[in-house]
Amino acid sequence: MNKIKKILELKNPVSISELDPNFKSEVIAHPDARGLAACFSCGTCSAGCPIHEVFSEYSPKKLAKMVRLGMRKQVLSSPYIWYCATCHNCEQRCPQNVSFFNVLNVLKNMAAKEGYAPSAWVEQTKQVVKTGIVFPTEENWIKKREELSLPSLKEDHPKLKKIIELTGVNKIKPRVDKE
Amino acid sequence: MEQNKNGKKTGIGVFICQCGKNIAGGVDIPALLDFSRGLEEVVFVADNKFSCSEEGQIVIQNAIRDSDLERVIIAACDPGLHLMTFQRCGQKIGIDPAFVDLIDIRKWTMFGSPDKVDEKHALDNAKRLIEQTVKRMRLRRKIPKVTVEVNPSVLVIGGGVAGLEASLDLADKGYKVHLVERLPTIGGKMALLYKVFPTNDCAPCILAPKTAYTNIHPNINLLTNSEVTKVEGHIGNFSVVVSQKPRYVDEKKCTGCGLCIEKCPTKVVDNEYSRGLGERKAIYIPYDQAIPKKAVIDTQNCLYFQKGSCKICEKICPTSAINFKQEPKTIELKVGAIIVATGFDEYNPTQKTEYGYGRYSNVITQFQLARLLDIDGPTKGRLLRPADGKEPRSIVMIQCVGSRDENANRYCSSVCCMYALKHAQIIKEMVLPDTQVYISYIDIRTTGKGFEEYYKRTREIGVNFIHGRPAEVVENNETKNLILKVEDSDINELLKLEVDLIILSCATVPSKGTKHLAELLRVNLDENGFFKEVHPKLRPVETNVRGVYICGSAQGPKDIPDSIVQAKAAASCADSELRKGEIQLPEFMVKQT
Repeated sequence: MNKIKKILELKNPVSISELDPNFKSEVIAHPDARGLAACFSCGTCSAGCPIHEVFSEYSPKKLAKMVRLGMRKQVLSSPYIWYCATCHNCEQRCPQNVSFFNVLNVLKNMAAKEGYAPSAWVEQTKQVVKTGIVFPTEENWIKKREELSLPSLKEDHPKLKKIIELTGVNKIKPRVDKE
Repeated sequence: MEQNKNGKKTGIGVFICQCGKNIAGGVDIPALLDFSRGLEEVVFVADNKFSCSEEGQIVIQNAIRDSDLERVIIAACDPGLHLMTFQRCGQKIGIDPAFVDLIDIRKWTMFGSPDKVDEKHALDNAKRLIEQTVKRMRLRRKIPKVTVEVNPSVLVIGGGVAGLEASLDLADKGYKVHLVERLPTIGGKMALLYKVFPTNDCAPCILAPKTAYTNIHPNINLLTNSEVTKVEGHIGNFSVVVSQKPRYVDEKKCTGCGLCIEKCPTKVVDNEYSRGLGERKAIYIPYDQAIPKKAVIDTQNCLYFQKGSCKICEKICPTSAINFKQEPKTIELKVGAIIVATGFDEYNPTQKTEYGYGRYSNVITQFQLARLLDIDGPTKGRLLRPADGKEPRSIVMIQCVGSRDENANRYCSSVCCMYALKHAQIIKEMVLPDTQVYISYIDIRTTGKGFEEYYKRTREIGVNFIHGRPAEVVENNETKNLILKVEDSDINELLKLEVDLIILSCATVPSKGTKHLAELLRVNLDENGFFKEVHPKLRPVETNVRGVYICGSAQGPKDIPDSIVQAKAAASCADSELRKGEIQLPEFMVKQT
């Protein structure tokens, strides 16, 4: 039976044992995400989301509902929680004052702690530790800065390093996606 | 009976109610009993499962008789709820109502109470309250009963359907009714609705019997163009000052023939009756079925008042009714009770910038749509879009604009679902059957009698429903069409619809001037700015001021059937207070001797 299911890609319905009743409380315990409890799924967030428009799998409304239902594993392992472009459209138009951008930040922190951080994000962090800049430095940047007589970029950032060590960001392991 | 320390024999009994588990579950009753027993002049204590029950009252009466009690304190629930019960219980065996007191210890113990505290605090609070009440009871004196005559007349503020109903009800009962309306005509918002759900009756037609009868009723003094400016006194004897703006037209002479309107050279946008979609003259009669059907001059736009010349209306009027020298009148009234029926206004959706109202001319409100559909409206019943006068081929109605919204109004406006369905039916069945009508909603709420059937009918005649709240509306510069983005929850697809006309179902908000009137009347407003009732379930039309009653959408958003029910209820409350011809003044107004 399982074999057939696999071949046909049949899905099992979500069972109650998969739902974590504490997940919602954990998320809304964070002051920034408290508003999520009031969400009534009107869909204004998804309708105005520029990412959702081109990439329908990412849906703020759907993620918000999944959190409220307690779908911990599905939400935290979802690659979509990292897709937000931080335009804040959803937040500005939400009739129930849910700050979905903040909810996502809470979810991302939880996901990172549980080993679901995307490898690209981990690489970015390393880059920041090294140069203080998110993007890798390029040859022409350095030339341009010399031309404009701007100070050269520092290689060592002891304070930043300290912050990163204290927050434990450097210890976050990238997710291992199964093939 | 024991003699107390200072020699007085007030003989106080304290009864503590368990209220089932409501009190007993949150406070230590035996500890309270012990504490009360130790208080000065307390000679009897007992607890009771339900003090208000017949059995509980007999226990209290027996204790009064057997232990020779003279004064009684019941520690139970809100005095507003049950004080009268226990006063009557005491009165039956000869205890004066002044010597019976009820104190609320339940608010600290009961589930659902906003004041609930933990068991320790509940006990401390209850002890303190019982101690204070015993002290106060020892000092109490009999309060003389003072009665005053009441004025058998009522002031009704607001001439909408609720105000009319209350006025007619009381006038038929024989009271003199003064009906004050801010605008030059009565009928209120209902007169502008064209048709009303769930019967699809013609609104002015079913309203006309009320407006017409109000106009000629011998017991009703109709004061249009008037506002209340001062209120003093108390139940039975309020004195009210009403200021009446001049019409500049003699009501007795004007026949409503409309010649003056025809000849008036000044055209202005009609914001009140055509909701900004039509024009009227500087002298005007609001609409065909207006009552009273008398012309009125708008001094802001009249050439004579602005520039000092014209007076064409005066020359043309066949009955010489125009009188530019009319002065504002101040009218003093003496009334026994006041009914507030000041209704609602439509929420101004320009604050919801994402929907573009005010920027895009083809985005209008449901009230404006009602005027466009009305045979007596600015387009004589033709549905034409404001930008170019074309008939729309596709329409979207957006629900919950400014309702259920933390950034506008938190409450559900309760009528928008139904009037959207109504307008969708009118468009599909009467006006433009080939036009596609979509209603974009979060939830459809059709809870009244016959309302769900009305919703079903709307689905059956081909109105489409989109389950989602739109994020934004953008105008196509050339065609003036509107592009709307909404996700339908049922199919989880983002829809981008280009439509001809968008209608916003806006919230109902308290009418302009509500706050000012509340200050004049010293009546409370609720968190949303509507008039606040004493109790949302049990005393829905009474206010914190005895003798002032509220009805209709002044109390909260509601439809016509509910407004009528409340108007009748308010009239009944006023009648119960006034019909005896005299009232007993409340304790706090009587000087103790």
